[in-house]
Amino acid sequence: MTKLTDTRFTAQPPAPRSRPHQKKNLVQRIGKGGFIASLPFLAPALAAYVVFVIAPMISAVRLSLYQWSGYNTDPQVFVGFKNYVRLFTQDPVFWTSVQNTVIWVVLSIIIPTSLGLVMALALNQPLVGRNLFRSVFYIPGVLAPIAVANMWRWMYNPNYGVFSEISKTLHIGDGSGVTFLSDPKVAIYAVFAAFVWQIAGLNMVLFLAGLQGVSKELVESARLDGANNWQVFRNVTLPALRPTVVIVMVLTIVHSIKVFDLIVGMTGGGPAQSSQVLALWSYTQSFLNHDFGLGNAVATVLLVVTLILVVPYLIWSTKGADDHR
Amino acid sequence: MSTATLPRTRSRSRVQAPKNPRDYVRIGLWIALAIVMVIWAMPMVFVFLTSIKSEADIFSTSSFAIPGAPEWQNYAEALATGNLMTAGGNSLLIALVKVPVGLFIAAAAAFALSRIRFKYDTLILGAFALGSMVPIQVALGPLFKTILDMGLLNNPLGVILPYIGFGLPMQVFILHGFFTQVPKEIDESVRVDGGGNLRLFLQFILPLSKPALAALFILDFVATWNEYAIALVILQNKASQTVPLAIQSFQSQFTSSYGPLNAFTIMSILPVLIIYLLFQRYFVQGMFTGAVKG
Repeated sequence: MTKLTDTRFTAQPPAPRSRPHQKKNLVQRIGKGGFIASLPFLAPALAAYVVFVIAPMISAVRLSLYQWSGYNTDPQVFVGFKNYVRLFTQDPVFWTSVQNTVIWVVLSIIIPTSLGLVMALALNQPLVGRNLFRSVFYIPGVLAPIAVANMWRWMYNPNYGVFSEISKTLHIGDGSGVTFLSDPKVAIYAVFAAFVWQIAGLNMVLFLAGLQGVSKELVESARLDGANNWQVFRNVTLPALRPTVVIVMVLTIVHSIKVFDLIVGMTGGGPAQSSQVLALWSYTQSFLNHDFGLGNAVATVLLVVTLILVVPYLIWSTKGADDHR
Repeated sequence: MSTATLPRTRSRSRVQAPKNPRDYVRIGLWIALAIVMVIWAMPMVFVFLTSIKSEADIFSTSSFAIPGAPEWQNYAEALATGNLMTAGGNSLLIALVKVPVGLFIAAAAAFALSRIRFKYDTLILGAFALGSMVPIQVALGPLFKTILDMGLLNNPLGVILPYIGFGLPMQVFILHGFFTQVPKEIDESVRVDGGGNLRLFLQFILPLSKPALAALFILDFVATWNEYAIALVILQNKASQTVPLAIQSFQSQFTSSYGPLNAFTIMSILPVLIIYLLFQRYFVQGMFTGAVKG
């Protein structure tokens, strides 16, 4: 998740550049460099990574062109792009999933990130009980999403949940209690609220870390020049936070695309598939409907979406490393 | 008069410790934070309170009413009817194997990528970086087939191996960032003394990286403990369940026994909470190393 900051491959003024070369010669002289020397260290990781991550992903793309039940006893039949045609033209749930995934990503890069930033800015001040505040905001982030889903499901309980009680006490609605999770229009947002609760504290910690890199002298001198809080934030703090903002955004996008547990635990994608997302729909098609072709076609769409969103960041971060060093 | 006094107070507040106006802002900020904290703590408090209420109390009293006599029976019932002990054992075993092994493999790879010079190291690092961002669900179907073909369905090893694979990218990346900060002079002195890569790795780089490794260990332990999607596909019988699977099956089995249900949730998150409280600083440190320094 960090920026690619490999100093050896970046443009450098002559002096620091010549030093690695010296080392390279030294390394080569003793004969400890090169791919062969690195293999014993690299091989286990590469093997695990290729067998359990890369190969299954390539396989997913391949299987999206086949019709298959997922049972080893059944044959895999090549059908070309038929699964995609079915997905795009005959599967309304697919489009619901796309829509919900987009909603989720967009809301995520706005709400939990700004909330985390505000929390961090507030808690960057010396305050009584600062550590307690930080812990309470952060703890939801270490809980299993499936546990969080169950906690929130209970809070949304139409009869005895917190929200129902609040609505009854304040006489909001018709008095029948809140039914967020069984309302197709609202369900996805109700689950999203749990996501915000869980992830805002993580963003807060990242922003707090980033705030340590904001020069205190710069803030002080801006204050002496008569800048108000907003001007200091806008012109000193925010520019210094830019790398953190990018990392938080990327992490948030990655988290949003793979949201799965929360939805399984709270709505199971329902009611009437209204809260489906791509990650869960792929699983549902493959494992519950036993249609591995369609399921992997959804997975391939998910892969492509991820690459579109993430590759620019990777390129930017490698380039960024070049610019800075 | 006002024109004469105003500049004075201003210059004073600038030089000396800030007095009244800023204190009020701070108090306001503190109150706002306290309100948000209450909202943030509410789900936990509500779930805990439900977990110690009798059924009658749940149905008749207010959500945040504290029960007269705590109904610990809920916990006993959740333990007796749920699969928490078996699942807890499984989760512990999986995490205690996966985390050290995975971390060691990741460290070795990060060592090779940061300390041994060869042609395609940036490319490999980039491939790892990319892998840390692709959702697990993309690979779920084929992964199931791989594990099935290996005969590891319902076997702890069937999740340990993919967990290692999926944990690697992030760890390699973070450790690579950390290792590159270790001075290169160490390499030279080890090599001049006739030591090889193995000695450099085991006796110098690893010990020097203890803080990063400790932080990653804690973070990875929690992540492994919480993992759901892969476990859902690979561990299909009750005997092999991990804690997240046990939570979900308890939830679907006992939909309306709210007391035991919430007791189950509380017990399932307890280990992670304890780890957080014990190793708090590592969480922050891990995020620091991972996100900012790198």
